[in-house]
Amino acid sequence: MKISKGLVVFVVILLTVSALLAACGGNPSKNQGGSDAKNESQPVTINVLSSDDFAGFRKSVIPEFEAKYPNIKVNFMSVGYDSLHQKEVTALESGGDTYDVIDVDCIWTPEYVTKGYIIPVNDRITQEMKDDIVPAALDILKYKDNYYGLPMFNDVLFFYYNEDLLKQAGINEPPKTWDELIQQTNLMKQKGLIDYGMVWGWAQAEGLICYYTALAHSFGGDLVDSSGKPAVNTPQNVKALQFMVDSIANKVVDPASITYDDRQMLNVFSQGRVPFGMNWSFAWSVFNDANQSKVVNKIKVGLAPAGTPEVKSATCAGSMGLAVTSTSKHADEAWKFIEFLAGKDIQKKQAITAGALPIWKSLYDDKELQEQHPALKEMSAQLDTAYNRPSIVWYNEFSNALQVEIQNALNKSKTPQQALDDAQKKIDEIMNNYGGKY
Amino acid sequence: MKLCAACCRNRYKKLVKRGITLSAKTYRENKTAYFFILPAMLFIIGIIIFPLLYSVYISFFDFNIFTKHPPFIGLKNYMDIFKSDYFWQSMGRTTYFTVISVGLELVLGFLVALLLNQEFKGRSFARTLLILPWALPTVVNGVLWTWIYDPNYGALNALLKSLGIISQYKNWLGTAFNAMNAVIVADVWKNTSFIAMVLLAAMQNIPKDYYEAAIIDGASRLKNVFYITLPLLRPAILVAVVIRTMEAFKVFDIIYIMTKGGPANGTQVISYYTYINSFQYSKYGYGAALSYIVSLVILIFALVYIKILYKKS
Repeated sequence: MKISKGLVVFVVILLTVSALLAACGGNPSKNQGGSDAKNESQPVTINVLSSDDFAGFRKSVIPEFEAKYPNIKVNFMSVGYDSLHQKEVTALESGGDTYDVIDVDCIWTPEYVTKGYIIPVNDRITQEMKDDIVPAALDILKYKDNYYGLPMFNDVLFFYYNEDLLKQAGINEPPKTWDELIQQTNLMKQKGLIDYGMVWGWAQAEGLICYYTALAHSFGGDLVDSSGKPAVNTPQNVKALQFMVDSIANKVVDPASITYDDRQMLNVFSQGRVPFGMNWSFAWSVFNDANQSKVVNKIKVGLAPAGTPEVKSATCAGSMGLAVTSTSKHADEAWKFIEFLAGKDIQKKQAITAGALPIWKSLYDDKELQEQHPALKEMSAQLDTAYNRPSIVWYNEFSNALQVEIQNALNKSKTPQQALDDAQKKIDEIMNNYGGKY
Repeated sequence: MKLCAACCRNRYKKLVKRGITLSAKTYRENKTAYFFILPAMLFIIGIIIFPLLYSVYISFFDFNIFTKHPPFIGLKNYMDIFKSDYFWQSMGRTTYFTVISVGLELVLGFLVALLLNQEFKGRSFARTLLILPWALPTVVNGVLWTWIYDPNYGALNALLKSLGIISQYKNWLGTAFNAMNAVIVADVWKNTSFIAMVLLAAMQNIPKDYYEAAIIDGASRLKNVFYITLPLLRPAILVAVVIRTMEAFKVFDIIYIMTKGGPANGTQVISYYTYINSFQYSKYGYGAALSYIVSLVILIFALVYIKILYKKS
């Protein structure tokens, strides 16, 4: 076969260009801090795997930790939340001692405990911690009466509203119930201020289950029965799902919510054409960053509206914490690092510099902190009504089955009752495969 | 090729003249050769062959969240797969994705190649432009199209509305059927260039005399395309289609970026289903079995294509 010289040059250029463009795509760089410097005292190096959220802050306080404990060196690594579970599971499943400390999302605790990835720390949890750490946060690393670590921040879905839009419509108070929210939305629509009242992150992802947990509780429901067994097709849960479906049909909720996740919805909310939205605490800094937001200083925090008179307000908790791995050879040193990051002064610093809510109840009364964080008081009011997602060992399978059926209802391919019945059937099927364990 | 064969022949003649028998020489050469390729062989065994065999082994065990020491369960993972609705639905979606996207890419790619094979001003510039979508990493392509489809700010909505085709912004990724087709469009946009490039390269090797002779005999341009271009392109089409079918059947990245399998599992293709089972549900055995089934299907495709297309040519 004869190949022209021009064609060869063409192909070479083509490959070069594609390689260059691929390089532009880039990989998230691994942050490698610390070193294995060997001096006379033979310091111990602990390896920490953290989520990218707040990794910058954690890294910044490592020198302080190493100054306090000269014999411990910290090798800090971080990855994006989406790859965290996979990275931890593959590292721990193979049994190596790659990591001494890992970052655990509340929904992974039962799985990690059952698999024996993390060790109980009951004797290391002090009475002060039990008394002063917000219960919903301390519980994220508790499974079957044992503690496995400490929360690093205290996060729930907060109800944000655009005070500016409400004022323009002559509304003085944020809605206390979902009905009120619909009325206020219609009023603002009549005045031509908005197209939709609310935007959510209801895409097929974990965020959907967080939102649904909040809504189910606000209608008096729960995703598990009193014994903790998954039970999703209760009348209250159906009501909550019906509310979601109706609110799209009534154009109260932006129909785009079905394709946005809990990060993408912020793009819409920050443009200032939607008055209400629920999101995590990190959203606060997004709203008040003039580079990506048109609503700087216009957003306020209120209590999440209720769906039924018996409920005052309800939301979903979503904190993460650090735990010591069972393969660690330096459990004592690893715990010291966790204790250090959870300590009151570091937590206060984290709240001021990174905007994360502290885990200690007493810090919410801290004058200096209140000045630095204008929404702290309103946010702390929501913490009492935060609910955790179900504690199930095969949580990811549970979550996926529920996500699919909720979306079937939102897409109107099934009625809410039918969708939740089917979800329950699927969940029971999975539970049977695991011999009824959950 | 000819050059190389001639070279060998000359060398062989020289060796025979010098009285060295070929077999002894080759034997010695081979031994040294094995020594030289040893590092590469070890590398391939470590990186490809061992994991390949190990994953077959894993697929016979029941890995799940509760099992610390997974028990041997023989072919149960494979049987469970064939009993699962999710599996058959994912297979159906994957087949749909593969047939539609490769079909469209082939037709469009052929047309683009025909166009760029003509002589016109700015042809080399157009050919360079052709590479761009293909050279773009799939992840970037996925993010790009996610923005194009955005229900509130998307370029597609703005375009269609200003043309008066739609009266209201649409949520292109909002329903299962729309989302699947939207992802296919994104995939076609990127990979049409690949097929067009392969076909264009092959077209340039078709001698002009064939067309001239045909035109003298009174053939129309359309007939030229059907009776000269297409038959002579058969090997190139084979290569392009086989490569693209295999890629399309194991599509993962664009789905992961654009829809994460949603809405309501509407874009959950077989690779995504495998990923979820292995890495989110920790069912490594089931996941390994799934990937072997996918590999088998791809292998069958390759054999069928090669048989059909090589036989006729």
